[in-house]
Amino acid sequence: MSPERIEPRIRLAGSLIIAGLLVQALSLLKIHPLAFVAFLAVGCPLVLAGVVLFLYALVRPEPRS
Amino acid sequence: MNLATALVVALIAIALALALLVTLRAELTRSPGGKILAFIALFLLPGLAVWSGFNQHMQLAESTQFCLSCHVMADYGHSLYVDDPSYIPAVHFQNRLVPRDHACYTCHTDYTLFGTVHSKLRGLHHLEVEYLGTIPAPDKIRLYTPFNNRECLHCHLGSRTFEEEKAHQRKPGEMAQIKDNTLSCMTSKCHDTVHAVDTLKDASFWKPEN
Repeated sequence: MSPERIEPRIRLAGSLIIAGLLVQALSLLKIHPLAFVAFLAVGCPLVLAGVVLFLYALVRPEPRS
Repeated sequence: MNLATALVVALIAIALALALLVTLRAELTRSPGGKILAFIALFLLPGLAVWSGFNQHMQLAESTQFCLSCHVMADYGHSLYVDDPSYIPAVHFQNRLVPRDHACYTCHTDYTLFGTVHSKLRGLHHLEVEYLGTIPAPDKIRLYTPFNNRECLHCHLGSRTFEEEKAHQRKPGEMAQIKDNTLSCMTSKCHDTVHAVDTLKDASFWKPEN
């Protein structure tokens, strides 16, 4: 795949992962049930979405021009 | 923050820094080394961060501080300091018969294969009630199922004070009934003063030196 096509996807995947990791790091600073829920319901889905998007960007076939 | 949590936060910080680098300079991924860096930054490290963060949250969720962070549990935490040895949780807590930083979890988990999972699922239900439901008065809170002797025997079984206690052998077969949970430790008028949060206003409290 051409770099012009894959790089925007990597940026988007990275942004999702960064947002998720930030939520995860902040959630660990407080011992509270809501922190656990924030980790599980916000942080994990963001990171997983980013990882899946990154993997998809690697294997996605080049669209025909 | 304890050391384990600090290490997990440090790992997440490293993952964050690398993810930031790859995101801001995506052109790095054009080289073979950059591709490997992207794989580490956007797959391996985030995966490791999720796994270790989840593990750490599970550990933190077993702490006394976690359980008492909901307001409705405050009286139960207070009951651990009652200066009266007939209060079973208080005598365990004050004499370090349970770890003080895991006092609630030590007695309120099922020592079965999926005991921790059941405890966490109950915890999610508590959270739903705390924020979306009607919170009962502390003295109206009841266990879902009667307290199983198994949780007491997890520590007491085989200990000399338990096995040789004459009160446990007043009648033939009494010890066997205790061990197979047909005679409850808590509700057989033996060790029936547990948290008793409705009696706290008249109780005196132990004040630890530190």
